[in-house]
Amino acid sequence: MTDEVDISVMIGGPQGGGIESSGQMLVRTFMIKGYDVFGIREYHSNIMGAHSYYNVRVKKTRPRSVRLPVDGLIALDAETIFTHYNEIAPNSFIIYDVDILNTNMEKIAPMEPEVKERIGSELKKLGIEPIASEVIKYLSNNGIKTVGLPLKNLLKTTAEKLKTNVVSVAKTVNTMSITAAVALLGIDVETIEKSINYYFYGKKSIIDSNVMAAKVAYDFVKDNFGIGKPIDDGPNKNRTRMVATGNDIVAMGKLAGGLTLETYYPITPSQDEAFYLGEHRHFKLDEWAAKELGVDKLGVLVFQAEDELGALNMAIGGALAGARTATTTSGPGLSLMNEAISFAVMAEVPVVITVWMRAGPSTGEATRQGQQDLLHSVFAGHGDAPKIVIASGDHIEAYYDAMKALNWAEKYQTPVIHLVDKYIASSMMSFDREDVDPQLIPIDRGKYYNENQNEDYKRYEITDDYVSPRMPLGKKLMWVSSLTHNEYGIVTEDPITREKMLLKIAKKIENAGREIPINDKVSLYGDQDAKITIVTWGSAKGPILDAMELLKKEGISTRLLQIRMMSPFPSEYVANILNSSELVIDVEANVLSQLAMLIRMNTGYEVKKKIIKLTGRSIMEHEIYRALKSVIQNNQDLVVISDGA
Amino acid sequence: MMARNWSDYKTSSWVQWCPACGNFGILLALQKALAELNLPSEKVSIVSGIGCSSRIPYYVKTSNIHTLHGRPIPVAEGIKLANPEQTVIVASGDGDLLGIGAGHFVALGRRNMQIPILLHDNAVYGLTKGQAAPTLPLWVKTKALDSPNIQSQINPLLLAFASGYTFIARAYAYHVDQLKDLIKAAINHKGTSLIDILQPCPTYNDIMTKEWYEKRIYYLTTEDSSWDPMISSPEDFDAKAPKILSKMTEWGDKIPLGVFYINMSTEPLDTRIEKILPGYLQYPPAKRPIEIKSKPLVHPFTEFKDRIVQT
Repeated sequence: MTDEVDISVMIGGPQGGGIESSGQMLVRTFMIKGYDVFGIREYHSNIMGAHSYYNVRVKKTRPRSVRLPVDGLIALDAETIFTHYNEIAPNSFIIYDVDILNTNMEKIAPMEPEVKERIGSELKKLGIEPIASEVIKYLSNNGIKTVGLPLKNLLKTTAEKLKTNVVSVAKTVNTMSITAAVALLGIDVETIEKSINYYFYGKKSIIDSNVMAAKVAYDFVKDNFGIGKPIDDGPNKNRTRMVATGNDIVAMGKLAGGLTLETYYPITPSQDEAFYLGEHRHFKLDEWAAKELGVDKLGVLVFQAEDELGALNMAIGGALAGARTATTTSGPGLSLMNEAISFAVMAEVPVVITVWMRAGPSTGEATRQGQQDLLHSVFAGHGDAPKIVIASGDHIEAYYDAMKALNWAEKYQTPVIHLVDKYIASSMMSFDREDVDPQLIPIDRGKYYNENQNEDYKRYEITDDYVSPRMPLGKKLMWVSSLTHNEYGIVTEDPITREKMLLKIAKKIENAGREIPINDKVSLYGDQDAKITIVTWGSAKGPILDAMELLKKEGISTRLLQIRMMSPFPSEYVANILNSSELVIDVEANVLSQLAMLIRMNTGYEVKKKIIKLTGRSIMEHEIYRALKSVIQNNQDLVVISDGA
Repeated sequence: MMARNWSDYKTSSWVQWCPACGNFGILLALQKALAELNLPSEKVSIVSGIGCSSRIPYYVKTSNIHTLHGRPIPVAEGIKLANPEQTVIVASGDGDLLGIGAGHFVALGRRNMQIPILLHDNAVYGLTKGQAAPTLPLWVKTKALDSPNIQSQINPLLLAFASGYTFIARAYAYHVDQLKDLIKAAINHKGTSLIDILQPCPTYNDIMTKEWYEKRIYYLTTEDSSWDPMISSPEDFDAKAPKILSKMTEWGDKIPLGVFYINMSTEPLDTRIEKILPGYLQYPPAKRPIEIKSKPLVHPFTEFKDRIVQT
């Protein structure tokens, strides 16, 4: 292995068949070896049986995307072989169970007819029968190492060694397959054991059977195929690190950011954030804080509402009472929340709405990627409804943005929409303690009214900065209204008062635009003076950054303008960057190129070159690299990328 | 504490209801109830939806929220979840609570939160000029309708009962003192309560008028001095439920008023939460510290041990 470690491994199988834990173990194995990892999970909206897979990438520095082809494919079923046979690099390997070799693709029930037809015609062109053994033979002829595992026998051996029956160790087949893969990649069995210990922390009998299964599989591979040349330890050995999904890390950010009430209605892919926060509802304080407060633990209440209307309105009620509140949802839920967003704008209620975008329109594909709710968020709410909308591009940004969003909501007494997406939600990333330092974002609760003042409290007092001092319910007599109201919150239809109050709300958000530092609103990556500017938002950032490095190696100099603050929009900065570019390429996962529309609306600049992805699958390094090159070299106006199964 | 008078809860806002509107009686009864309970203005929140009756927050000197159409219940729940000490009262119309907001009305029952629902029930949508509300009986044609109502009426009492409300009563808007007593009992009830308040709409409901109601209404306790709506155990429930349900379904020539049902054996939400989140009652979401001198209280590595990997 060269100094430049860059390994991609894919593991595929039926949903509910242990893909999740396999991916998690794989990721931990490489982390323990000292590497940084990034893994994306692709799955159907289904509980059991449909095809699901993880694509995991391993590097010495944190990978920001995945790529194809992969260096190893672990096929836990025959469908994986058919679905991904053409995504494996030459000189790589495929691991499969010898018992599935006779499977005919046509007989695989969960496989969708369109997929069968497409793959069937590909195979036909290649002259391959749609039978697993034939595909394996084809791969073998193309220089790919085909590693058939007699899983049934290996299970029997494992059971014998543990002095138990086969049924009780049946679930270890995935561990065996993963072990085979990492053995081929040159990782020792001890590292895998550690990984098993972490993943199944505290469950002794599960750990024991999986460790035994790993040993049996390792020895089998060693004896029959030979293990890979041992790889060196990565740069991150002997450290206490973390691996988390985007859902996890936003929950962490909210907890650190002082959230005390989260309401939600179950919707994919947001629910895991609420679940995870709920698991940690009664959380441990840092030692210094525990000492100062005299308590070890505090709570965050995670409450399931009857629908998204209820969820946001409850969060609004909680905020009025003085709690730091948020709700979490996805596109369809955001649709239902529109009315309450407008209410929160009018009544000036601080509340954070985390929106985990997925593939729309309509119900679309609940578990698939899309960046289609940008304009929806910016314009959410009837009437004029100015608000703050922030979009995160990766896990770490999502963590800090979750904290900042809570601050901004209270400081400007406004709903804040925090846009994240499925790519971030269900991908895993490794990081260190200092990557998520909450002390970088001091908690700012905004202006409070001095409750000892004796005059009548004006909830909506017009002040120099248009922010009225806040007071929780219970402390002062006040009125809060969704109707046009005067400074006391009392309904009025006086035309001049109405004008003043609407301007107050608008100017408050304009002020936020002035006060929030530019570094929170945009990021400029790459060669700062490059004449080619790629403009994007959200999770498309990762694969673009990786692709830019590939372009750089070929002498193509680019820079990336990632826009994070969508409202209030950083118009001046964006206009300056775009106007000083010779070529601007917009990249996003929606059909309208919504960011390009928003840029034109705010700056007048028309982005003419566009790359979009609509398949519901994550944007990958190799395809965005090719697409960018195609736009730069062939002057193409629109490239639609569509890789990934 | 200085005793309060109902007029202490009056505001200077002009009350915009039509002359003889049932809302006047409800407003007065509410102010009287608050006075007799001697509740400080800032410790009470009246939460309303949209419609004629939902203007009530501006007419009561307490810390009130005028929300969206159909959404007063979740807003009230949010306040109560965040600060269980605040007295939170929902006052809204039949269209608001049983039409557009019906899902919330049902869900609240599952939670048994200490929130009284004052259902202003005049069977019509007043502010939009008299459309049929969910409580307007089938085939009734009020003057605003172009044809008789072809949708059946909801029975709010039964809906509340099925949803898990633990205090269910019906009142008449012009019987201010009786209504006041019911409101006081509902505010003090440790669970979700409904008072279905029948009220004439002199402008749009020309069928269910003052005369129409007053010919029909009677009090459960007047008819039967042994009437006992109190349930304190499952055995009690089995014994009394049939009679309670038969009274709840009585509607027509005779319409019963009073307390139909009180169930003291259902645990309220706040103590349920305390069981899964120890410390909730001491530090509810609105009152727990979230920072010390602006410093966040928890680093993810302190709490989220399940995501840690030792390399």
